[in-house]
Amino acid sequence: MDQSDIELFERSIRQATERSSGEALDAALAEVGWLDALSLDPHVAVSTLFSQQGSAHVTSSALDWLLTSVLGLEHDPALAVVLPSLGSWDAPAQVGTGISVRGLGTAALRRAERAVVVLKPGDDGSCGVLTVETTDLQLRSVEGMDPDFGLVEVAAASGALDHAPRETTDRWATAVMMAQLALSHELVGAARAMLRLAREHALERIQFGQPIAGFQAVRHRLAETLVAIETADSVLAAAWDDSSRDLAATSKALAGRGAKTAARHCQQVLAGIGFTAEHHFHRYYKRILILDQLFGSARALTENLGRELLATRRLPQLLAL
Amino acid sequence: MDLETFRKELDDWLDRHQAELAPDHGVLPTLDEQIAQVKKVRRLAYEPGWTRWGWPERVGGLGGSPLLRAYLGEALTLRDLVEPSPYCMIEVLAPTMIDFAPPELAAEMVPRLLRGDEMWCQGFSEPGTGSNLASLSCRATRTADGWRVNGQKVWTSHAQHAERGVLLTRTGTQESAHKGITALFVDMDSPGITIRPLRTMHDVDEFCEVFYDDVAVPFERTLGEVDKGWAVAMDLLPYERSTSFWHRGTYLHRRLESLLATVEPGALGASEVGEVAQLLRAFQARSRSTLRRLAAGDGLGAETSIDKVLIATAEQALFDLAANGLPAEILAGDDDASRRWRTEFLYSRAATIYGGSGEIQRNIIARRLLDLGPDR
Repeated sequence: MDQSDIELFERSIRQATERSSGEALDAALAEVGWLDALSLDPHVAVSTLFSQQGSAHVTSSALDWLLTSVLGLEHDPALAVVLPSLGSWDAPAQVGTGISVRGLGTAALRRAERAVVVLKPGDDGSCGVLTVETTDLQLRSVEGMDPDFGLVEVAAASGALDHAPRETTDRWATAVMMAQLALSHELVGAARAMLRLAREHALERIQFGQPIAGFQAVRHRLAETLVAIETADSVLAAAWDDSSRDLAATSKALAGRGAKTAARHCQQVLAGIGFTAEHHFHRYYKRILILDQLFGSARALTENLGRELLATRRLPQLLAL
Repeated sequence: MDLETFRKELDDWLDRHQAELAPDHGVLPTLDEQIAQVKKVRRLAYEPGWTRWGWPERVGGLGGSPLLRAYLGEALTLRDLVEPSPYCMIEVLAPTMIDFAPPELAAEMVPRLLRGDEMWCQGFSEPGTGSNLASLSCRATRTADGWRVNGQKVWTSHAQHAERGVLLTRTGTQESAHKGITALFVDMDSPGITIRPLRTMHDVDEFCEVFYDDVAVPFERTLGEVDKGWAVAMDLLPYERSTSFWHRGTYLHRRLESLLATVEPGALGASEVGEVAQLLRAFQARSRSTLRRLAAGDGLGAETSIDKVLIATAEQALFDLAANGLPAEILAGDDDASRRWRTEFLYSRAATIYGGSGEIQRNIIARRLLDLGPDR
């Protein structure tokens, strides 16, 4: 896409996310041609949509569509993907005496007729992949911390899916990378929205005869928030540039941690009003807590990186200039 | 010269000349040894052109992108050939000369840095002027045959090893603040200059107090316009925060490598190691995009305060990690390798103080990047 195509695309996506959410946003994305954009320029398609989605606090089926596409499956609006459990990025199914599943789904899975289930890798590193009827899965619609997100808990008892034809894929690691990039953008978008709310409040709220934005304690909290956001965003950009799995994982960790840092500072600046249900802050906060847990929490990813470094006693190379 | 070719040819040259380039000193060089080594490396690398790429031809350079300089510093640092602090001075002061010195002065002086003939220093801070740089009071008075400088500077890095220095002086009234400052280029062996190295908590006499007592500086040594020295000081920041930070980031990367190779199994937790590695990665990613913007000719500004916060945070986190992983070395070790960890750990405490404190950076971020209006 050239620069003018990109600008037009960004504008369309912004309008779509400002006006609609859920199924209506899915329809708007189909109209805008998000899937075409995804095959044409994954970086632009993913970064634009997911950062806007985070910023506007809306949901769509785009994560499922993205994963379907990376796994090399035909796009199908009635198809959703079973995601790893909270905190983890491991494929959600494993083979024991039979196939068993423990995972999650987005709201897309509530509406889907079929679901893609990826199995943990075998000895050759490749993963099995099955497409099953959603009626073969045990689904629980989660209310939980963030009912608007539409999370679903997915399980299948050992053996329940053994009849489904099984293929293999070597694309799970790439799917994880793309999901981490998408979710990092969504987290960064949500963190920027929290910063926007806190900044506006700081400029409008008068105490001691002046806007609280004049107080250094407030200014430094907001500065700290911007540093946390830009930290994650820098690694995210580098992950796309270098198309690196390691950087995608690091960006997801920094985006999850950074969004929580942003929430802590912004909530303190918003103070009483930010604690009400009426103010938007809490919606963003609850959303980032969920997003942090999808495809690797900051905590789990950081610990995993540290374990690898301690085991190999080597650092990956410096980023190439 | 494109970066890929430069990288390949430089790496090849460094491999072939490893023996000549290698430092004569051990793992804990004195300041004198560090500076002698930087000069030696520059001298050897000048002839084949390595230290000249990335600098304009009118000051003896061979042209090309500043990314070439960034890579040179990276390659030398990764091979443990130079210490970052004396090495990086050129990245800050040569651009100042190129942008502000009379062209013939820049053409005469900058090659001396590229060849490793000289070290320079930068006299900005004063006893009464820390974060509030615009309040400086070291005075330059006009006389018939040039400036006369009187006053005191402090925290002047490497003043005792420097042949020349860039000095900020007060030429307007004290109240004129940043509008009455003039930058001068001073020979550090001028009569009337007294240099007293400061003993710091990390046991390296890198910073100095410098006293100026009726020091004569010719008018031709004025950098930029009279009373416009603030522009010189501000111009320097983008350079400090691009190539120079990249070199320091490379050095931190190298030290984390050493820590991982040295630490006893079980001494460090996975999370703390992972977090430091992520912080360093984040700094590198940020710094690389800053460098790319510099190379593309984009102006760098207040957004580099984020780079400064990131590198200071990463540096302190890295040496906190070292202190967790190597407590016996850092607290009780008296061999050179342990002393090195100790002095680096202690030096890292200053990372949020020098070059604009952490608080000043956050003030800039709040004022300029978040547009929060004036502080009270």
